[in-house]
Amino acid sequence: MLLKTLITRLLTMIVTLFGVAVVVFTLVRVAPGNPIAMMLPPGASEEDIARLTALYGFDKSLVQQFFIWLGGVVQGDFGTSITLRQPVDQLVLSRLPATLELAAMALVIALLLGGTVAVLGARNRGTGTEVGLDLTSGAVLSIPDFLWGLIFVLIFGVLWPVLAISGRIDPRIEFDFATNFYLIEGLLRGRFDVVGSTLSHMVMPAMSLALPLAAMIAQLLKQNLKGELVQDYATIARVRGFSETTVILREALRNAALPTIALVGVQFTFLIGGTVIVERLFAYEGLGNMAIDAVINRDLPLIQGIVLLFAAIFIMINLIVDLSYTLLNPRLRHG
Amino acid sequence: MTRTVLDIMNLTVNLPNRTRILRDVSLSLEPGEVRALVGESGAGKSMIGKAVLGILPPKVRISEGEILLDNEHLGAMTPVTRRNTVARMSALIPQDPLTALNPLRKIGPQIVDPLRRIHGWSADKARARALELLDRVHIRAPERVMASYPHELSGGMRQRILIAAAFAPSPRLIVADEPTTALDVTVQKEILKLIRELQRETGTAVLFVTHDMGVVAKISQKVTVLFAGKVMEDAPTEQVFSGAAHPYTRALINATPSSADPSRSFTPVPAQLVADLHREIAQDDHLYMTVTS
Repeated sequence: MLLKTLITRLLTMIVTLFGVAVVVFTLVRVAPGNPIAMMLPPGASEEDIARLTALYGFDKSLVQQFFIWLGGVVQGDFGTSITLRQPVDQLVLSRLPATLELAAMALVIALLLGGTVAVLGARNRGTGTEVGLDLTSGAVLSIPDFLWGLIFVLIFGVLWPVLAISGRIDPRIEFDFATNFYLIEGLLRGRFDVVGSTLSHMVMPAMSLALPLAAMIAQLLKQNLKGELVQDYATIARVRGFSETTVILREALRNAALPTIALVGVQFTFLIGGTVIVERLFAYEGLGNMAIDAVINRDLPLIQGIVLLFAAIFIMINLIVDLSYTLLNPRLRHG
Repeated sequence: MTRTVLDIMNLTVNLPNRTRILRDVSLSLEPGEVRALVGESGAGKSMIGKAVLGILPPKVRISEGEILLDNEHLGAMTPVTRRNTVARMSALIPQDPLTALNPLRKIGPQIVDPLRRIHGWSADKARARALELLDRVHIRAPERVMASYPHELSGGMRQRILIAAAFAPSPRLIVADEPTTALDVTVQKEILKLIRELQRETGTAVLFVTHDMGVVAKISQKVTVLFAGKVMEDAPTEQVFSGAAHPYTRALINATPSSADPSRSFTPVPAQLVADLHREIAQDDHLYMTVTS
């Protein structure tokens, strides 16, 4: 059953990715701006322009170009970045860990923060505390991630400069990374200066991405918790002497989490989208930052590679959400 | 002095706008006694059990009266002591077995955890007690049932599990809140029989909430009839069926179809009687508002 779902989903994934490939390939070529013009100094001769155009294959028809590119992609060759002169797959994979660490950190913060506020709200339902928490999360939700980034820079970068405001790690730290997962590798190799510096660089962008999601989780999970707490099984647990907090954590939370997970999955893909602008804001060396550079420089192969990867990540997240939903719900497990 | 299990004295339960859900209700239960609480929907019969167990809906408050559980004043206790006392002394068999078990937790822990909390038993001892009770309520393969999720079991089985869970901590009082209403007729009989058997074996007192006079006759020794939160009649079951004092009780009995004798006619509660009772209640309300405001 699970295997069948998995195979169906993987096949759908290929179709979706093909669609994304067609759209992104067409869009970057329809959009104004010429990569060749960006590469040559002003006053370059017609022959130079023609030679370079032919070198990158831009003289062929769109359809021909598309299938040349797609043929490469299928074999794992995503082309060469025009501006950075390196294979796109290497560039993209070198940046992916930074974005994954950032997004994962943001998700963990959002779940912990949102979950805690939801439980507190449900615990104090019908009181001023609940109203206060609702108002706060409503306000937090109304401020978008990049604005949170600016607010944090102002507070922790300027007024009370305790956190690093740009980059991913202090460049003075000497450490020979085997992977680009700085945080994980630092932890595994016991280099806590690396971990500390990475965290100091990561906490503001991660918080910026996490706060709106945390507020959303807080609101939705609290609502679901309140729905579960009037169920008979919760009443019975109270009659058996369990405190309200125990009833929430042990009885209601898992039931309330199920419908919340579906939303968190969708919202998490928005969070990944948010990394593009937030990474730019903090000069964080991730995929999103690279995407903006690629767009500015009309680096067509690089844009295509990054967009395809983002699409694959979105699909994977949705798949993981669906699978976790099945695993958490015993009613679906054997069905 | 006899040691009553439950003594409710002049209990009045209000909404915040002082609408009374229960009006000056008094009743008591001796050890081993089954008392039926009957009345139409909204008569407040479930509310009495909820007031005793401390699970009144939000904003519903006890405004007057006393509840004594095993001669201890519940009203005088701190919330935590009260919660622990209620858990040790009493248990609830709910109306709907489909929603009364947590769908995401296995049956075992749902019986074992409360036992460990209430009596401080070890996991093994609590587990042994749970198995014993499951066996007692005729669950085949109790080991396997303990490892199952609720959705894997039928409604009748779940209700038997809830009965086992209620009796497992050896409470002195069980509140059974229409425990057969959500079940189909064949299962109803079996569940009723089971509650009666276990109640006799253990000497547990039962407050049995129902709207079915047929069930009343089968299970209870005493009956309290309620209308709009007010006690209409409080009498031994036999006496109620041989010749009820209150016209409303007689009307309720006449309104019950007999499964033993389907040809016997039954008549709905006369509208005139209900209207009269409502007028009485309204006058009473008027007086109450004037006196308490």
